[in-house]
Amino acid sequence: MNDIAISIRNVTQRFGGEGQADSVLALDDVSLDIRKGEFVCLLGPSGCGKSTLLNIVGGLFKPTTGTCTVEGRAVNGEPHPDKIAFVFQESTLFPWYTVIENFHIALKFQGIARTEWDDRAMAALRAVGMASFARHYPEQLSVGMRQRVNMARGICVGTDILLMDEPFAALDEQTRMVLGEDLSQLLAATKKTIVFVTHSLAEAVFLSDRIAVMTARPGKIKTIIDVNEPHPRSPDFMLESRFSELRNECYALLRDEIRATVAAQRDPQVAGS
Amino acid sequence: MNAPVIVASPPAAASKWRAILQSALWLRIGLLAAIVVALEIYGRIWADPAFMRPPTAIFEALRKEILPEPKVIAALYMCVAEIAAAYALSILFGVLIGLAVGASRFSRGAFFPIVLLLYAIPQVALLPLVILMFGLGPAAKIAFGLSHGIFPIIVNVVAGMRDVKELHMRAALSMGASRVDIVRYVVLPHMVPSLFTGLRLGMTMTLLGVILAELYVSQGGVGYYTRVFAESYNPAPLFALIGCLAAIAIAFNELVRIAEHNLTPGKRRTHALKASVKE
Repeated sequence: MNDIAISIRNVTQRFGGEGQADSVLALDDVSLDIRKGEFVCLLGPSGCGKSTLLNIVGGLFKPTTGTCTVEGRAVNGEPHPDKIAFVFQESTLFPWYTVIENFHIALKFQGIARTEWDDRAMAALRAVGMASFARHYPEQLSVGMRQRVNMARGICVGTDILLMDEPFAALDEQTRMVLGEDLSQLLAATKKTIVFVTHSLAEAVFLSDRIAVMTARPGKIKTIIDVNEPHPRSPDFMLESRFSELRNECYALLRDEIRATVAAQRDPQVAGS
Repeated sequence: MNAPVIVASPPAAASKWRAILQSALWLRIGLLAAIVVALEIYGRIWADPAFMRPPTAIFEALRKEILPEPKVIAALYMCVAEIAAAYALSILFGVLIGLAVGASRFSRGAFFPIVLLLYAIPQVALLPLVILMFGLGPAAKIAFGLSHGIFPIIVNVVAGMRDVKELHMRAALSMGASRVDIVRYVVLPHMVPSLFTGLRLGMTMTLLGVILAELYVSQGGVGYYTRVFAESYNPAPLFALIGCLAAIAIAFNELVRIAEHNLTPGKRRTHALKASVKE
């Protein structure tokens, strides 16, 4: 079992004490193994606990019950910045630092020697084609450029595992597609293990090796769909009939869950159960 | 970045002139000039010279009665020193108390309402008490300036620390930042724009506090001379002296504005943008 990077075993997450009125069961007995170098998407309706699961893997939340091991080491609500890097939405760039200073601060937090900061940062920026914007402030860049920089910041720290929490959610459809291609190419070069949270069907099919479709809250893994297509993927993949079939399959699986989510939002008594 | 588009339409020199002509500066200067001229006309024709004099007479008084008078100049210097001392103390204690109150949800919940309560008290009512406690000298003015200036600084430091984005905190934590790292590299830089809002308000309030105390009671200070001039029905030097106070206030406010402009990461950003466009 040496090729397993992340192992999630019977993880349950409850916010608020059991039996209390505001108690929410976010995840219910989730188990999932993720292989080294694999790109896994967590796909599900909003509020299904997919971000919660990602935060548990990243050590930002401590699961109520169950365990999560990363490269054989138990993660129990403790971040492991040497193994795992997070990429959130582009707005997580610190606006008071320039692009390069944002990299420096990430490398500093990670405990990497100061002498390496510039080389690593510039290498990551070159990889996403943003090297000439190193001295700009995030606010001077477009949203798409910011997200490119933000992805590069996650990559520059050199961890084997990258957790991406809806990184493209704030982008428009077209920028999102371009960045998806970039990501696919970057990853083919770096061989990282990626867990990617999204609610976009096309994004999930285009990027993943496997898609874990989750149910409405409390989140469970409903099905796992294999996408057999080598990386890097070209935009032509989106035009193939296999792409549409996989996308439709995901949609068919999600449809009931989305309905359940909407129904639960209409009637809070159902949501609290 | 879009420079080619802008340059392409009219010739560069013409657009520059148009920009100068269209700027709000002209309206501003014109408005001020109109007010001065109106005051001059009113002052010369209708006003009672015991209460009001035209701007030219005030300027004359400044030149002949204020600037050559070493005691008045010494009083103005004293006033500047009092404001500077009161403001320095306001910043020191305001920032320290603000950081302590804003440090955690608990300390904020415990102390912030008390700060807001004290802030709401109209302090002028306590001025006689402050004079009794600190005497007629500069100490009372500094104390009253401090008690005015400190509150906006505390309130804005606390507000700046409270509004740190959850996403920034999570990002920093996931990168392995310690609690100290988070305060130093996330909370404090995030607070800077809000801090300067506090410093600007604090400057205005410190000025108010010091000058109120000066006017209330003073031995040979600016307050003393304003009373002497007012009571002798001699408005020209009175207005000249008030003009000096206004100039001091403007100078202090400018200092804070320049500091803000150069020290706020958000303001530095616009500088960097201009530089990058020039390249």
